Amino acid sequence: MTSDLSPTVFVVDDDPAMRDSLVFLIGGVGYACTAFASAEEFLAQLHPGQTGCLVVDVRMPGMSGLDLQKELNARNATLGVIIVTGHGDVPMAVRAIRDGAVEFLEKPVNDQVLLDKINEALKRSEAATALWHHREDVNARRASLTPRESDVLDLVVAGKPNKTIASDLNISVKTVEVHRHNVMEKMGVRSAVELARLFSSCLGDNP
Amino acid sequence: MMCSPGRRRRFVCALILALASLVSATIGAVADDVPTVRIGVITPRDIMGPEYSWGGTLDQLSSALPQYRFVMEVFDRDRSRDAVENQKVDFIIGNPAQYVEMEADFGISRIATVEFADGPAPSSAIGSLIFTRADRTDIKTLDDVRGKRLVAIESVLFGGFSLGWLELKKHGIDPFHDTQSLEFVGEPVEKVFATVADGSADVGIARTCYFERLVAAGEISAGEFAAIDGQTPARLGCLTSTPLYPDWPFSKLSHTSDALAKQVAQALLAMPPDENGVSWTIPVDYQPVQSVFRTLKIGPYADLGPRDPWQILSDNWQWVAAALLGLAWVLVSLARVQYLVRLRTQQLNDAHLMARRERENLEHAARLSLMGEMASSLAHEISQPLAAIVNYARGCQRRMSSGTRIEEIEPGMAQIVVQAERATSIVRRMRDFVRKRPPVVAPVRIREILEETLEFFRPLAERQGVLLIYEAPDALPIVNVDRIQIEEVLLNLLQNAVDACKGSDVRQVSITLSIETESVLISVSDTGPGMSEETRSRLFEAFYTTKPEGLGLGLSLSRSIVEAHGGRLIGENLDAGGTQMSFSLPVSQE
Repeated sequence: MTSDLSPTVFVVDDDPAMRDSLVFLIGGVGYACTAFASAEEFLAQLHPGQTGCLVVDVRMPGMSGLDLQKELNARNATLGVIIVTGHGDVPMAVRAIRDGAVEFLEKPVNDQVLLDKINEALKRSEAATALWHHREDVNARRASLTPRESDVLDLVVAGKPNKTIASDLNISVKTVEVHRHNVMEKMGVRSAVELARLFSSCLGDNP
Repeated sequence: MMCSPGRRRRFVCALILALASLVSATIGAVADDVPTVRIGVITPRDIMGPEYSWGGTLDQLSSALPQYRFVMEVFDRDRSRDAVENQKVDFIIGNPAQYVEMEADFGISRIATVEFADGPAPSSAIGSLIFTRADRTDIKTLDDVRGKRLVAIESVLFGGFSLGWLELKKHGIDPFHDTQSLEFVGEPVEKVFATVADGSADVGIARTCYFERLVAAGEISAGEFAAIDGQTPARLGCLTSTPLYPDWPFSKLSHTSDALAKQVAQALLAMPPDENGVSWTIPVDYQPVQSVFRTLKIGPYADLGPRDPWQILSDNWQWVAAALLGLAWVLVSLARVQYLVRLRTQQLNDAHLMARRERENLEHAARLSLMGEMASSLAHEISQPLAAIVNYARGCQRRMSSGTRIEEIEPGMAQIVVQAERATSIVRRMRDFVRKRPPVVAPVRIREILEETLEFFRPLAERQGVLLIYEAPDALPIVNVDRIQIEEVLLNLLQNAVDACKGSDVRQVSITLSIETESVLISVSDTGPGMSEETRSRLFEAFYTTKPEGLGLGLSLSRSIVEAHGGRLIGENLDAGGTQMSFSLPVSQE
């Protein structure tokens, strides 16, 4: 498996005919497309921060499509998920949407609809991946702070003045100013406002 | 003691007998009671005159054998038979015809034959005279008697009729049929002559010598009648139309002791002619009398020889009627049995046919029901390749519209064909399975049935998360079965096993095949919860089911199918949990 994280469509279906035919269809319009016979196989090779779209059958022996989607959520995966079901199960669909599935398609799937959904999912995945990278970056910067700097950062983000921070942490205002300077430097921002914007950007598309 | 009939010897015999009787008389006088010897005499019916009177004979016996008291009893013809049959007499004197009959019927035997002084020879004494009126010139010979009116005293008389009958028979004339009439006028004999004389009859039959006696008595005139074929034998001195036959015998009965008979015979032979000229000589041969009877089929021979079948039938009509009724009853019974057998056979065949049709209908319903239970799985199995086909086809279209090279399209087209064939084969299989058809038993490899069924069923099972495990030895025998029926049994067991696994964590269905001595055993076991006690006891009951969508026919029909193939189907709970259903099939001997 290549470790470059270029956008890929992943097909997970236990039925070889369905799997291969989907690869043939999706591959035909120029997407990179990889297929797996089970959810477990797919998870084994999934790279965090992967851009792409997952097309998964809801019913499979072993881990089902819904189980897989849950697992991806838990892993904060940035893939777009399209769950295909042949059974038109409304409660199942409701659960899929609530758990954050991108799309839910009923069989027989119209190829155009599928490809459109894949396209949308890929776009969202790119955005999500970017956010994921951003968040990784912010987290990495924050990880470089000392414990005391980290405490100061939390209070700065909370909008407290230096005097209050000094009294809260039971240190001198002077010391607070030194920590604050180091925090700004390590986080790559110049002001408390910029710092607040940086954290809010990590929350995703929705403000 | 032997006494020959010679004249000189007779005297000697008489002397000896006299001496003997003296001795006996002395003994008899001494004895208190003298034994009685009864002599029966049958009255002659057509004989008048003194010849056949036996007073002299009785005197002779009484004097010759004084140690006995001789009693003579007179019987008519009918009573005489009763007397002889019931042994009321010790000796009997009767005419030759009566003697012959009673010899045959009661075993009497002659010890002497009567002889008349100046009379005919004892062996040639009796004949018949067949006569007509002297003026009947048209009747010259016996042949002329045909078609004439006959008259005689009575049909049972020997000389008075039978001998004449025999003579006529020798000339081809049956007096009963070949004459205009045959009249029996009864005694006395004069009536016969009178009937012929007055022209009421043409021909008369009478015992020999009556004519001469009547002429001598002046009753008739000699010139009035003419004998037919008549002759006058020298010693007889009378006209006869027939040969002559022996004279009357003196006979002992079967119960009479030989010693007494011998004494009586000696006394008789020693007897000088009495006043009627009667004396006794050694018994003559009565064979000629018997041959008369035999020829005429009368007397002791009345029941012999071929007789008119109609006569036999009419004589025995009660028996014939009973036999015919019996035969008719047997025939009617046979016909009825035949009819009933045919009717019942037909009914049985109809019932068989109907039962078979019912069974086929039921099996068909069960197969449909089984298909129904598998319907959603089957629908998926069919929609899967169809969806794949759509995907391939769309993929091809997009490649074509975007001007991709043909090499990229080709694999998609090939896959379309593969998937279409897959869908078709599933549909065909289903159609084969649910089609109504008569069972066809043929030798099949058990492996083929098993593996093809599993190939069909495996995706259905796996779709429900159930793993199929199949184990079979390499060498598998051939069985003689109806393929579809055995597939039905297998599918039933597999579907039940998969349904049973649904709620379990481990979902496995194992199919094992083992070879026994003369059969193969196929077992399907699951990892389900096993059967409840109720389910186990009602396992093969029709319409008993634990599934909401089931008909409850699967196992009951599976069992009848297996049993119709000569095998058994049993179900049991496994110790490790789960259910195992096993059925056996006899191995084909060919």
